[in-house]
Amino acid sequence: MDMPLQEIIFYAFSAVMVLAAIMVITVRNPVYAALFLVLTFFTAAAIWMLLEAEFLAIVLVLVYVGAVMVLFLFVVMMLDINLVPLKEGFIRFLPLGVLVALVMAAELLTVLWGRDRFGTGQFPVPEAHPQGYSNTAALGEKLYTDYLLPFEVAGVLLLVAIVAATALTLRRRAGIKTQNPARQVRVRRDERVRLVKMKPRSNADGREA
Amino acid sequence: MLAEYLPILIFLLISTAMGISLVVIGGLLGPRRPDSEKLSPYECGFEAFEDSRMKFDVRFYLVAILFIIFDLEIAFFIPWAVALERIGWVGFAAMMVFVLLLVVGFLVEWKRGALEWE
Repeated sequence: MDMPLQEIIFYAFSAVMVLAAIMVITVRNPVYAALFLVLTFFTAAAIWMLLEAEFLAIVLVLVYVGAVMVLFLFVVMMLDINLVPLKEGFIRFLPLGVLVALVMAAELLTVLWGRDRFGTGQFPVPEAHPQGYSNTAALGEKLYTDYLLPFEVAGVLLLVAIVAATALTLRRRAGIKTQNPARQVRVRRDERVRLVKMKPRSNADGREA
Repeated sequence: MLAEYLPILIFLLISTAMGISLVVIGGLLGPRRPDSEKLSPYECGFEAFEDSRMKFDVRFYLVAILFIIFDLEIAFFIPWAVALERIGWVGFAAMMVFVLLLVVGFLVEWKRGALEWE
């Protein structure tokens, strides 16, 4: 693939990404903001794909778009956000917000102006890989040989996360009626049905009831 | 390597064009005669009982967290499966230890009843 097409794709995805990122912070409804964040993640994945980091792109879509955004939406909905009180205290928190914005702007400008330290010229241009090269396989080869210990530590962290999540959010409600399918299947006839011998009884007009 | 992703790019372009054009064509050609009754919110025919924003049960959150954790596990599986021939038995054993840890986690949540929906 020749360069100009790649550049066109890059600028198209970057434009969509910047627009979506602006919408994330300007849109009024938090649910729409979360959906625009999904669009931002998608375009970021496409840009990573242009860098030939295919595994990162796949994981960004799989984990962030698939799972983390679901969690974000749940959090947004669980917080029960009323839109009116959100605007209260705007003046009160304005100085702090301006301060944070100034610090972030200064950081961005340092990177933009200090091109001799941070610019793209500091890094070699990544060379294009031949057809059939698999970034995922290269990553797997490194991860499961040189980085075995961090990998297992990640497993332990996930285990801790499972235990912590169940400990923090598991609520038991008293007095609920649940069914036990195993017991339902195992049930025997004589546990449910009782045959009672009864003497036939006659009514007043002589017919049997 | 990027050339292999050209079909996906074409797919993205076509699906974006399709999505936009369907909405635009529907908006242009569809009849639209709104009145105040049509536009008012309703719930199965009667007036809305409450605000559409309501608190979700925290149990949904637990399910989402557990989903993320096992989703991450899948993310670790992909490079392992692709590189399995080259990492040998050591890599295989490493993944087995990893899976064992997550099975322990799975048993924990199972036995504590986090998977029950009451």
